[in-house]
Amino acid sequence: MNTININIKKTSATIGLLSGIFLFGCTKSFLEVPPQAQKPVEQFWKTQADATAAVNAMYANTRGWTFVSFAPMAVESLASDDAATGSDPTDGSVAFMDQFDNFTVTSTNRELPDFWNGMYQEINYCNQVIDNIPNIDMDATLQTRYIAEAKFLRAFSYFRLVRAFGDVPLRMHLPKDASEYNMPRTPEAEVWAAIEQDLTDAEAVLPPSYSGPDVGRATKGAAQALHAKVALYQKKWADVVNYTNLVMQSNLYSLVPDFEKQYRIPNENNSESIYEIQCTYLPNNSAASNSQYSQIQQPRGGFTGNGWGYNIPTQDLVDAFEPDDPRLNGTILFRGSTSAEGDLIPLTAVNPRYNYKSYVPFSIYVDDNSGSDQNVRVLRYSDVLLMNAEANNELGNTAAALASLEQVRKRARTFAIANGAPSTTLPEVTTTDQSALRNAIYHERRVELAMDFDSRYFDVIRQGRAAQVFGPLGWKANKNEVWPIPQSEIDNSFGVLTQNPGY
Amino acid sequence: MKRIETPPFKLKSSRKNIRIMISVIFLLTALGLQASAGGLLRGEIAMSNKGPLNKLLTVNIDVHGKVVSDAGTPLAGVSITLEGTTSGTSTDAEGNYSINAPENGTLVFSYVGYATQTISINSRAVIDVTLAREASALDAVVVVGYGTQRKIDVTGSVANVKGEVISKQSSYNPLSALQGQVAGVQVANSGTPGAPPKLTIRGVGTVYGNTDPLYVVDGVWYNDVSFLNNSDIESISVLKDASSESIYGIRAANGVVLITTKKGKRNGKSVINYNGFVGNQVVTNQVKMATGPEYAQMINEVYALNGSPALYADPSSYGTTDWYHLILRNAFVTNNQISVNGGGEKSTYNFSLGYYHQDGLVKKNGFDKYSVHVSNDYQVTDFLKVGVNTTGILSNSDDAPGGIFYALFNAAPIVPAFYSDGSYGDPADYNIASANQKNPQQSIDYINHTTKTWKLNGNVYADVKFLKNFNFHTSVGGDFQQAEIRGYTPFTNYNYIPVALRNTHSVLSFERDETRNWILENTLTFDKRFGDHSVKVLAGQGAQQYKFYKLNGSVQDVPEGSSTEYISLGNPGSATVTDEGSLDRVTSYFGRVNYSYQDKYLVTGSLRADGSSKFSNTWGYFPSVGIGWVISKEKFFENQHLFNNLKLRGSWGRVGNLSVPANLSILTATQTPALVYVGGDGSSAPGASINTVVPPTTTWEVGEGTDVGLDAALLKNKLNVELDWYNKKTVNAIFAIPVLGSVGTVSGTIVGNQATFQNQGFEFLATWKDDINKDWQYSISANGGYNQNKVLSVSSGGNPIYDFLGANVITRTMVGQPIGQFFGREVVGIFQSAADIASYTNKNGTIIQPTAKPGDFKYKDMNDDGVIDDKDRVPLGNPNPKFVYGINTTLTYKRFDLTLDFQGVSGVSIYNGNFALRFGGENYTQDFYDNRWHGEGTSNVYPSVNVAGNNSYTNSFFVEDGSYFRIRNAQLGYTVIGNKEHSLFSNLRVYVNAQNPFTWFSYRGFTPEVQASSPTEQGIDQQVYPLYATYNFGVNLTF
Repeated sequence: MNTININIKKTSATIGLLSGIFLFGCTKSFLEVPPQAQKPVEQFWKTQADATAAVNAMYANTRGWTFVSFAPMAVESLASDDAATGSDPTDGSVAFMDQFDNFTVTSTNRELPDFWNGMYQEINYCNQVIDNIPNIDMDATLQTRYIAEAKFLRAFSYFRLVRAFGDVPLRMHLPKDASEYNMPRTPEAEVWAAIEQDLTDAEAVLPPSYSGPDVGRATKGAAQALHAKVALYQKKWADVVNYTNLVMQSNLYSLVPDFEKQYRIPNENNSESIYEIQCTYLPNNSAASNSQYSQIQQPRGGFTGNGWGYNIPTQDLVDAFEPDDPRLNGTILFRGSTSAEGDLIPLTAVNPRYNYKSYVPFSIYVDDNSGSDQNVRVLRYSDVLLMNAEANNELGNTAAALASLEQVRKRARTFAIANGAPSTTLPEVTTTDQSALRNAIYHERRVELAMDFDSRYFDVIRQGRAAQVFGPLGWKANKNEVWPIPQSEIDNSFGVLTQNPGY
Repeated sequence: MKRIETPPFKLKSSRKNIRIMISVIFLLTALGLQASAGGLLRGEIAMSNKGPLNKLLTVNIDVHGKVVSDAGTPLAGVSITLEGTTSGTSTDAEGNYSINAPENGTLVFSYVGYATQTISINSRAVIDVTLAREASALDAVVVVGYGTQRKIDVTGSVANVKGEVISKQSSYNPLSALQGQVAGVQVANSGTPGAPPKLTIRGVGTVYGNTDPLYVVDGVWYNDVSFLNNSDIESISVLKDASSESIYGIRAANGVVLITTKKGKRNGKSVINYNGFVGNQVVTNQVKMATGPEYAQMINEVYALNGSPALYADPSSYGTTDWYHLILRNAFVTNNQISVNGGGEKSTYNFSLGYYHQDGLVKKNGFDKYSVHVSNDYQVTDFLKVGVNTTGILSNSDDAPGGIFYALFNAAPIVPAFYSDGSYGDPADYNIASANQKNPQQSIDYINHTTKTWKLNGNVYADVKFLKNFNFHTSVGGDFQQAEIRGYTPFTNYNYIPVALRNTHSVLSFERDETRNWILENTLTFDKRFGDHSVKVLAGQGAQQYKFYKLNGSVQDVPEGSSTEYISLGNPGSATVTDEGSLDRVTSYFGRVNYSYQDKYLVTGSLRADGSSKFSNTWGYFPSVGIGWVISKEKFFENQHLFNNLKLRGSWGRVGNLSVPANLSILTATQTPALVYVGGDGSSAPGASINTVVPPTTTWEVGEGTDVGLDAALLKNKLNVELDWYNKKTVNAIFAIPVLGSVGTVSGTIVGNQATFQNQGFEFLATWKDDINKDWQYSISANGGYNQNKVLSVSSGGNPIYDFLGANVITRTMVGQPIGQFFGREVVGIFQSAADIASYTNKNGTIIQPTAKPGDFKYKDMNDDGVIDDKDRVPLGNPNPKFVYGINTTLTYKRFDLTLDFQGVSGVSIYNGNFALRFGGENYTQDFYDNRWHGEGTSNVYPSVNVAGNNSYTNSFFVEDGSYFRIRNAQLGYTVIGNKEHSLFSNLRVYVNAQNPFTWFSYRGFTPEVQASSPTEQGIDQQVYPLYATYNFGVNLTF
């Protein structure tokens, strides 16, 4: 009994003591609990490491779902005559992807906000860097380079927005508070001007190349090549020639002899690749191995390495290739055929053709997001050559146009003949007729760039041929030049945002 | 001071010694003892103890009599004990008893359902007793916040459920036993072994946080009470109105459930109780799936509708695998609890041990729980009492594979579980779409996932009484938990495993969760009656801390074997570690005054101030006021005989909700694996940035409630009625509203104090209790709650807030509508033919669904713009139940007792999400096969098998009535050994019990009892556990 009594006394003493502490304790500091396992913004943007982390995040986001996967496929590819929805009729996602394929998209299609938000998320990461890094005490060279890298990615994001939607809200700085969230659409011309300014700034700072872990960051050549493309979309032919010449004269880039091989994982960041989104497979880390660019396009069926089978090449595209053009078999993986690595696409595959350019061999690890290792080729040297050819032809510089075009055809021809094709394969284009040459260049762009990440749909609209080329598929002039602004975005803006005509 | 037991004192003698006897009497009388000579002629002297030495000597006499009820019927089995001793007897079938007892002793007459009477013998030999029906429930004492109150003095809405109602039920979690017992409380059970049920009190009052009520067990606050055993519970009080709740200000917005555990009794006999049952859980209302040939035929139909050739040449050639039959089983369940309780002069104790085992309905799934519960208190001095309540739990679960029910529903029936060579049936061999490459048998065979949980919680407390009317109570409580969730996915890159199911690397994952909460509270009460005035004052202060930490680790390539417990055995390059945690603190001051005048006019007022570390505006203030008028005590009511009690009450109060995320207005840098930078050389480096926006300030989410109620007891307390009307608003509700995409946030929302919701409703409880005669007694009780949920305002104005779940299920929350209503396209029919599609046009002749196929849903073009898109969506149903009700009956005949409980929900919609979620190759139900459109004129309700694309959009076809009515509990008991009939067992009762044996509903899924994952995702049925009945045999044994 004594023992118990002592314990009781101790217990009650303890209780009394604790009560006392809290009755008279300091309430204010007791209630100050910082966020757990998170860094408040006041502790961020302090050091060079913070700056690096923010720039890293900006790059990491580019391999994400909304930047290179489903929504971009819908908005930028499916509607073209090169690509079809694909997949399996029993897959629930086919219906809303088909709306792009057959031009029945309405403003409530779910891929529209995905694409829209995806671009603006990237723009936010860039604006975070551009607004905050100047205030950090850090290595000055690195500081300006980081800002230039951010301007490149911001320009790339706005470029994709403006060609998809026309006028879009142009946000070049972080909003100060909620009053700055709701921005109206900025006229297209101002958006283009802002993109060009960003690229001009970036070109001045970015290095020609990187080494080690930095390989894959935006280079001077990438900014120039993108600048050329931005000029191309605005028909600023002299600028196109200027920027493509800068890239061509840098002597940093060359065409890879084997067209197909340049897309395989061992040949990432090759001499033809001017800008490439870096993706990887980190073992047991599906959150970092999160690129699904390849998975959504991989052959579909119940076999090893199978994917979702979306964005499949059409028969129309097959027919567009000249006889024995090796780029046909470098672009399309046919059902029943075997890949260069020996993967048989079984006859039980759901679709007749798949995009070979995004394909990852079955032997590469498939437990998580299959094919997460595949980098996304955004800008290639052959694209630069063809932009150069097109602009020169428009300016009447026929010889220069023919020379650039020939570089592209020659690579394909050489490979074909070396592999047993007749010597008449892919004859050199020699026409000096501007219109005929224009068509030859258009044709070359189609087969060279088919099923690339940035390929045909907006290219044809830019060329002013959409009614002719896509009309039979349902494309309508004065409507389908751009897609509808997402309805949810219009609703949430309380009418500040307006809809595009025809939607 | 020790009381001296009176020894039996009886002198017997022959007549010869009568003189001596008389001498003795005189002698004793001289000593001050009063002896009775009534038995003198028989040679007996009995003595009473009225004299000075009465403490030393007492004389026993035989007492007999008859016990009847106030209705005049004899009562059998009434327990009669001699006060202060363990000796006693009970009445026979005619209500007669006899007992040998000291003539100055006191007899205690007790009988279940009747008020206990204590009668002094006063030397009487015949004592007839009339036992009155136990007074109305209103006179009972109920547990309220920080104390107890007579029910009659309560001005708010407090429901009370006694422990015996809880312990009768065979549920694992005591809260499940509340289903159908309390008006206005909806209980949705989960079928997962060990998983707690979801309680919703008076509708959903919060959206962006935990919607669970606050549970207070013996003064300690919890989020989950699955550590309790049903038979440990003394009583449960459910505080439903804001005024009763507001003393728990901080966390009371979803209601408060106060649980008191059993304690030992002072100076009581030690009692040993054993309660146990064994039983079987059996799936009921099994949904029948299509057979193999039917499946093959339907897949061919899908292909045909999409212009593709048939996938299966001869559908009739396929066999059928009944996956449910293969994977599900009748599951064994047992619960055993032994408790010892009692008390001495200065202390009480209650000690119990429990073991619960439940097999899952899915093979290999199982759950074990071992528990220890101890409650002790000690009266240290006259003024100081200290005590301790503590519970320790160890539970082990062999988990079922994630998504197994979804897999069973979808898996193709044409695929065998095994081929004849023993390898697993491979869906790829049957051209099953890649999204549905499942073999549930393989999942079950390779599952290796366990959850172990340790919990230790409880409190120590002290009560100090001083200056007669004051009591100081102080308590320190804690809740410490650790969960270890271990999963091992073996290497399965073998030929006998289907390609799509192989793992080329094994993965070992560990999750370690730790909870360390403490709560400290001090209260001071003053309780005094001054003539007609009765005053009770409570003042209190408290502090709390909630800490949670979760550590996740995983690694690849740990070899399979005995030591697959260590991450260090795997490939270091693949090891990942993540963690997360939360910490928040609260400090509180609170007070309450209860005043009553002549027990007739009642006033209650309380105020609580809570400071929380979660908000930028730290302090919240929660006042309440309640008034009551006991009409039946008025003079003008004296001459009526209908009402025994009639009380009107009204209350208003404010409560807070702390179950929301912390630090919402602090902008933080995000650092996630998705932001990891990848270099061209394959290296990686961390990335971090800001990808959210936050509101400038956040403050308490506040519930504001008004309640008007009426309590009545009628017809000699046989009928008790409680009626309540309430209006409960949640203002400043934490709510996520969309942010424009162009701001560039990742979540697309901003979370802050941005909405107001309302729940308005009506509740009733009516209980009728009566004895027909001494053999037959019965009671019947009905309760119901009608609730209407509505959003009153959102800072985004008229813009709806959508919640997407899975591929296509959409709910909408918007002003003027209930939270989370289903929202989608309205089906007006099925397209029968191409001509039908072509003729479905709007006013301008535009074909509305040009890309539709025959057999597709024909949607209503609400805005008549000639296209069907999201602008044509309409509300399709309300997942917030309008009416929840229960009927509870008991019937006693001699030694038999029968309990029948019914329970139901109506006015609620369910989204049949299992059915609409299709990625390719899923199976269909038999009902769908029988009713599907498969050619012109075959159906205008069910679509074709092509339930993808336009047919999978959220639409009215998938929204179904979720009303149900069920027999919740049916129990037949027989008391083998009644009160003190046996020297060893004082009570032995056996029973058979059926829980949920029958449920009636029209819903086409497995069960209409769908647990919500969040308030905006209520009523969405996606891979729910099937409904099952539990059949038990049980024993209650008392030594």
